[in-house]
Amino acid sequence: MVGAPLALLVALTAAMLWEGGAPVSPVRHLFLVPGVWAALTAGAQAGAFVGLMAGFLQAPLVLPAIERVGLTGGALDGLVSLVTPALLGAVAGHVRDQAFAGARRLDALLEIQRRLAADEPMAVRLDAVVHVVRGCLGARAVGLVVGSPEGPPAVASVPPGAALAPCSAAAWCLASGGGMRSRDLATDPRVTVADVSSSPRRAMALPLDAGAGSRGVLAVEWHGEVTEATARAATEMALHLGLSVENARLTLRQRRFAAELEEKVAAATARQRDIDRAKSEFISVVSHELRTPITALEGFSELLLSRPVSPERARRFLGHMHAESRRLGRIVTELLDLSRIEVGVAPVLTRERIDLAAHVERQIELFAGVHGGHRFLWRAAPALPPLHADPDALDRMLQNLLSNAVKYSPRGGEVRVSARTAPGGFVELSVEDQGVGIAADALPRVFDKYVRIANPKTVSVRGLGLGLSLVRALAEAHGGRIEVSSEPGKGSCFRLLLPG
Amino acid sequence: MDLLTAPFEAAREHARPTVWRPFVAVSAVMLAVVGSGRVLVLQGGVLADLGVALEGVGVHGGFIAQGLVIALEGQGAWAGSALRVAAMLLAGFLLGRLAPWGGLLLAATPLVLLQECRQYPILSRIGALEPVRPGSLAIGLGVGAFLGAHLLITASLTFGYGVSVAGVSAYAAAVAYDVGANALSAEWLFRGALFSHWWRYWGFWGAAVTSTGLSLVRYLLDPALPHTVEARAGAIFYLAALGVATSVLRAWSGSLLPGYCASVAFFAAYRTLVVW
Repeated sequence: MVGAPLALLVALTAAMLWEGGAPVSPVRHLFLVPGVWAALTAGAQAGAFVGLMAGFLQAPLVLPAIERVGLTGGALDGLVSLVTPALLGAVAGHVRDQAFAGARRLDALLEIQRRLAADEPMAVRLDAVVHVVRGCLGARAVGLVVGSPEGPPAVASVPPGAALAPCSAAAWCLASGGGMRSRDLATDPRVTVADVSSSPRRAMALPLDAGAGSRGVLAVEWHGEVTEATARAATEMALHLGLSVENARLTLRQRRFAAELEEKVAAATARQRDIDRAKSEFISVVSHELRTPITALEGFSELLLSRPVSPERARRFLGHMHAESRRLGRIVTELLDLSRIEVGVAPVLTRERIDLAAHVERQIELFAGVHGGHRFLWRAAPALPPLHADPDALDRMLQNLLSNAVKYSPRGGEVRVSARTAPGGFVELSVEDQGVGIAADALPRVFDKYVRIANPKTVSVRGLGLGLSLVRALAEAHGGRIEVSSEPGKGSCFRLLLPG
Repeated sequence: MDLLTAPFEAAREHARPTVWRPFVAVSAVMLAVVGSGRVLVLQGGVLADLGVALEGVGVHGGFIAQGLVIALEGQGAWAGSALRVAAMLLAGFLLGRLAPWGGLLLAATPLVLLQECRQYPILSRIGALEPVRPGSLAIGLGVGAFLGAHLLITASLTFGYGVSVAGVSAYAAAVAYDVGANALSAEWLFRGALFSHWWRYWGFWGAAVTSTGLSLVRYLLDPALPHTVEARAGAIFYLAALGVATSVLRAWSGSLLPGYCASVAFFAAYRTLVVW
């Protein structure tokens, strides 16, 4: 790199000698050229070296003149000519080095940012970054440690393969958030190394702290001389790495959040669609459920009003009308309960001391009377404690569970009802059927409002999808809960747990 | 990578230096030997030759011993090594006084010193055992030859000093003295021990300027240096340039050898200068 400027120097010296070797020859000004040339092409050291050589080559011409004629103006001019090339070479080279170092650092910082933002595994990204840092800082070895809240820190190094020892300088910096600088690792009393290298091993371990706490450590080792500018560049790079790592971490988190949000929005949209569909079905079913008793009431009342009927027949018509009006009343009550639950008002309970066994037995007898196609088996554990509950609410819960058991199990099926004490001071009342069962993925939704689980075998079954939701609300109002287990094709078992 | 793998204790401090006591002891012995040599020289007679040899051994052997003490941090069997090198120097100086070609024995001193160095791997830290590329040796020789040639040209053009070799045996003995004592002890102490040590703490320029300054003091105190003002000014300039150049060579190559070659080449040229 300095060969050509040196050759030019020799040529200039020869020209000066050929001209007569006068120390104030105009050729002496050209001695500045090789130094500046070397400085601009190879930096400050080369510029200073070539400038120094220019001074050395001129000296045998300048010094004898001083010896001969003394320190005249011309001799002083010659002396200035001796030192100017070296000074100019050093200064021009220094300016060039600064500009090159700045540009290289900027390139490196951009490259680091690009590498860290790449959509690649963390280990690959860090590996690329340490190579960039090493190239920019002219280091012998570079290590990058990035802490992770989920597990061990990620480590990358050039030369590769260095693992983070728990008692090392980098581990200390990572734990303390502080930095460490060593003029020479071989003689630094804080570091235990078996090193006999012939040049000092400067080293820095810098926290990657972008203001939000240390995110890792940048460790750099050099052999030989390290300028303050290089050390400053390392510090800047650590700061920038801290920012970039923080950005990469935030980007990753943002991506994860975006994915989660997308999933949640999709789930909420699907659920909203289900609810809309369930509500439409509900309105359709409610219209149908309300219309049926109203039609019956209209029909029988018109019959009674439009023509004379026998008292016996009139009594039968009135019986039908009474039954339909009761059915209508039950539907309206359920709707009212539902509206209360929807606005967050718990059902009003009137608690009484209830003999559970007798109460359940009576309900089963009533049900068995109406639904002769099913067999009802009742078994109560001995010494059941009395229950403090609202008898009307208990009836409605039991009726809903029994009604579902009958609706969703084939004719001739068994409905087993049992009661026993459960841990935690609860009394467990279970209703088990041999019906179509419920698929496992549908189980979490069976207690939701308006939900009716689709099953080809139960298409004809009428209902509002409110019963189980009402049972859960009433159970929770009592301080209890309801659980379900089911096996498709074999049946379901609902367990109502109420405090004793 | 030691920052990631080597054990680290943030609070551990430097151990107390163990180098001062042996360094002072070596310096005292050095002064005593030089003093005894001077006394013998002043008395004249048959023992004058021994006095001259003792002066040479005191100075150069002392420098080498001081370098060993600093490089080994006062540990190890440095005294034995220093004594063996001093014995070699004494033999060389005595033979040089007794026979015209006897001084050539001094040229074997670097080999004795190298043999001693092999016992201490830590001497790699001062560049004594580092492998060296032939290219860097050639550059070292070139630097020394350039400075030497420059000295000869400038001195002859400026002051009219002559350039000649008085006799082959005398010139060879002078060069052997530079190879085995003068350049060897200077490079060993000033570039090897002191520059290498200070470089680790003060950076390149701090170490180079300080070690070169000390080597200048050593040469200016040398009674063999011509006493004229221009000779002393020239010595300061060229020895400073040589000191900085050998420091650069030591730092660049990692070894003492290129700088040593530069010194030998420079002094080989200097020996042809006839100052009157």
